[in-house]
Amino acid sequence: MIEIKNLSKSYNKGAVKAVEDLNLHVKPGEIFGFLGPNGAGKTTTIKMMVGLLIPDKGTISIAGYDNAKNPLEAKQNIGYVPDNPDVYDRLTGMEYLNLMADVYKVSVEDRRERINYFLDMFNLTDAVGDLIKSYSHGMKQKIVLTGALLHNPAVWILDEPMVGLDPKSSHLLKEYMRKHCDRGNTVFFSTHILEVAERLCDRIGIINKGKLIAIGSMDELRHGDQAGSLENIFLELTEQ
Amino acid sequence: MRTFISLLKANLNVHFGISSLKYRFTKEKNRLWEPIAIIIAILVGGGSILAMYSFFLLAVFMAGQSLGHPEIVITLSFVASQLIILIFGIFYIISVFYFSNDMSILIPLPIKPGEVLGVKFITILLSEYLIALPMLLPAFIIYGAGSWQGILYWLKGSILILMAPILPLVIAALIVVLLMRFINIRKGKDIMVIIGSLLALMVGLGINFFSLNLPQGSEEEVIRHMIESNTGLIEAIGNKFPPSIWATLALTYREWQGWGYFLLFVGLSLLLVVLLYWIGNYFFYKGYLTGQEIRRKNTAISKGDIQKHINRTSSPILALLKREWKLFMRTPVYVMNGLAGMIMVPIFMFMPLIANSEELTQVLNYARDPEYSLIVILISLGIMLFTSSINMVSCTSISREGATFWISKVIPTPPKDQVLAKLIHSSILSLLGLIIVAIPLFIVVAIPLLHLTILIILGFLATGLINVLGLIVDLLRPKLSWNDPQEAIKQNLNAFFSLLIALLVITVIAIASIILISAQIGEFWVYGILALIIVVLLVPSIYGLFSLANFRYKSIEI
Ligand SMILES: Nc1ncnc2c1ncn2[C@@H]1O[C@H](COP(=O)(O)OP(=O)(O)O)[C@@H](O)[C@H]1O
Ligand SMILES: [Mg+2]
Repeated sequence: MIEIKNLSKSYNKGAVKAVEDLNLHVKPGEIFGFLGPNGAGKTTTIKMMVGLLIPDKGTISIAGYDNAKNPLEAKQNIGYVPDNPDVYDRLTGMEYLNLMADVYKVSVEDRRERINYFLDMFNLTDAVGDLIKSYSHGMKQKIVLTGALLHNPAVWILDEPMVGLDPKSSHLLKEYMRKHCDRGNTVFFSTHILEVAERLCDRIGIINKGKLIAIGSMDELRHGDQAGSLENIFLELTEQ
Repeated sequence: MRTFISLLKANLNVHFGISSLKYRFTKEKNRLWEPIAIIIAILVGGGSILAMYSFFLLAVFMAGQSLGHPEIVITLSFVASQLIILIFGIFYIISVFYFSNDMSILIPLPIKPGEVLGVKFITILLSEYLIALPMLLPAFIIYGAGSWQGILYWLKGSILILMAPILPLVIAALIVVLLMRFINIRKGKDIMVIIGSLLALMVGLGINFFSLNLPQGSEEEVIRHMIESNTGLIEAIGNKFPPSIWATLALTYREWQGWGYFLLFVGLSLLLVVLLYWIGNYFFYKGYLTGQEIRRKNTAISKGDIQKHINRTSSPILALLKREWKLFMRTPVYVMNGLAGMIMVPIFMFMPLIANSEELTQVLNYARDPEYSLIVILISLGIMLFTSSINMVSCTSISREGATFWISKVIPTPPKDQVLAKLIHSSILSLLGLIIVAIPLFIVVAIPLLHLTILIILGFLATGLINVLGLIVDLLRPKLSWNDPQEAIKQNLNAFFSLLIALLVITVIAIASIILISAQIGEFWVYGILALIIVVLLVPSIYGLFSLANFRYKSIEI
C-alpha cells in the first residue's frame, strides 16, 4: 500500500538533512506507527508522502500510484491530517465538510452516511453549523480528520493524530483505525507516545536524525527478549 | 531596559524579515536576480510617483508664494501625511497589537504590558516612516530651498519630520487600545475595518468634491484657485487637529514663537507616548484577553438540518469557486479593498451631475456626440479597466490561502482546475466592476446599448488578461505566511505588481487604439482588431497560467 524507496530530503540547501535514504514498505491491513524524537524527520517524511514537499531523491508510491507521476490518483487514495490543523476559519464546519466531499467526489448517500457517523463519533454535531473560527484546537483537528476520511481513502496518513484529541475521541479513533485496517486498508501515523504505538501498531518504524534505525513488529524489535518495553528499545536506539 | 532592547531587536527582525533577507542575499545567490528585479521595479514605480508628487508640491509652493502663503506646502504635507498615518495606523495597530501570534508567547514573559506595547509601537513607527518620509521630505526641501532658509530651519525641520508620525500613531493606538478594552476584539475589528474604509471613502469623496470646483485656465491658475478655496479646508483640519499647523508655525515663525510651537509639538508627542505607555500597562493585556473569545451562535443545528445541508453535490471547480467566494465575502478587509474602490469610481462619475456647471455640460455634449463615439468608448474602456483591476482579487488569490494552502496541495483536484476556479472568481468581481462603471456611462454619457455591450465585452477580455497575469504573479511569489488577512492584501507587493501590469495592459491597448484611429479605419474594425489583439495575448497567457499552476502547486513548499 505504501512503498517508499531511497527517500531523501534536506532543508537549507543541504545544510539540514531531514530525511536520509529512507526505505519503507507498509502492507494492506497494517497499522504502521512512525516513531522518533522531536526533529527526527517524521513530519518531513509525511509531507513528502502527501505531496506537500518534493523529495530531493527517491520515490513514493501510494496504493500503487507513484505520487510524482500520478499525483492525482495517489491523492485520491490518501486521507491526510497534518499535525497542525490550519483550516478555513471563515467557513462553517458543514461547509468545509461539503467542500471536501465535493473535491473528493463523494456521492450524496456516502457523504450523508459518513458525515453523520463522524459527527456523532466526535461529538461535533452541535458545532458543525458554526464558523470554524470558534472551534478549539481539538475540534479543528476533528473536523479536518472527518474531512480527510469522507472519501473512505485506502491509506490514512496522520501526523501526531492523538495529540489534540480528548481521551474518548482518541479511543474511538483508535478503534476505527483497527476496523479500517481489518477491511484491508492501511493506516500510517506518526507519534511520540510510545504506549499508543505499542498497543495499536502491527509494525513500527523508528526514525532518528533522518534515518530509519529500526523497523518491525514489537516482537521483532524486542529480538525475542520479552522483557524489553518499547520505551527501553526506543531509548537505546535513539541514544547514539 | 536590556530586555526591552533585545525584545525590540527580535521583533524588528521578525517584522521586517531581516534574517530571511540576509539569508536571501547571502545564501541563495543564484536566485539573486529576483529580489534585485523587485527592488528595481519598486524604485522605478515609486520613483516616478515621487517625482510626480514633487512636481505637484512645487506647483503648490509657487502658487502659494504668489498668494503670500508659501508655507501652505508644508501644512499640506503635514496634514496629509498625519491624516493618512492616523487612518492606516488604526488597521496596522489592530493587527500588530492584537492579531500577531507572538502574543501568546509574550504575555507569559515577565515584561510589563506597556513595554510589549512599546516594542510593537516602535516597530509600526519605523514602517510608517516609509510613508511619512516620502510625503514630508519633498515639501520640506522645496520650501527650505525655495525660501532660502537658514541652518536652524533644517535642524528644526529634521526633528519635526522624525516626530511627525508619532502623534497620529499614538492617537490611533490610544483609540484602539481603549476601544479594544470595551468591545469584543474580533467583532470590533470587523467594525473598525468598515468604519476606517468609510472614513477613507469620505476623505476621497471630499477631495474629489473640492477639486471639482475647478475654474478653467492654465494649470497654475487651477492650482492657485484650489489653494485659495482649500486654504479654508486645510485650516479647518488644522483647527480640528492643531498639531499639524504647529509644525508649520514652528518652521515659519523665526524667533521665540517658532521655538514655542516647536516645543509644543515635540512636547505633546512625548507626553502622549508616556500616556500610551501608562494606559498600555493598564488596558493592553486585559483588552487582548477578553477579546479572545468568539461569539458562537448557540443555535445548534438539528439533525434534520444537517441532512438538508448534505443533499447537494457540486463539481470540484464549482465547490472551489464557492469556497473562494465565501472566504472573500466573509473577510471585511477583502471586501473593502476589492469592492469599495470599484464603487468609488462611478460615484466620482456621478458627481458632475450634482455640480452641474456649464463646462461640464459642454464636456457631456461632446461625449454624447456620435462623431466622437469611438474616442469616448476607448476612454471609457480605460476607466473601466482601471476600475476593475484595482480590486486586487486575482493577484492575491494564492496569498490569501495563507497557512491553509496545504489543503489545495493535497486535494485531488488538478491545479489547472483550481486556478480556473480562482480565475472565474476574480472575473466575476471584475465583471461587477465593469457593470458598475457601465451604469453611469449609460445614464450620464448616454452611450448606446450596442456600444455599451461592445465595451463590456472588450473590458471583460482585457480584465481577463489582467487577472490571468495577476494570478501568474501570485503563483510565482505567493505570500503565504501571515497572521492577519489584511497582510495578504495590503502588505503584499503582488498588489503593486498587478497594478503595474494593469497599467501596462492599458498602455498597450491605448497605443494600439491610437495607431488604429490614425489609420482611419471603420469604428467597428477598431473594436474587432482590439478584441483580436487582446485574445491573442490572452490565450497563451491562460495556457502559461495552467502549466505554471501545475508546476507551482507542486513546488511551493509549505
Ligand atoms: N521548513 C523547514 N526549514 C528548515 N528546516 C526544517 C524545516 N522543517 C523541518 N526542518 C528541520 O528538519 C528536521 C526534521 O523535522 P521534522 O520532520 O519536522 O521532525 P519531526 O516531525 O520528527 O519532529 C528538523 O531538524 C527540523 O529542524
Ligand atoms: Mg512533527
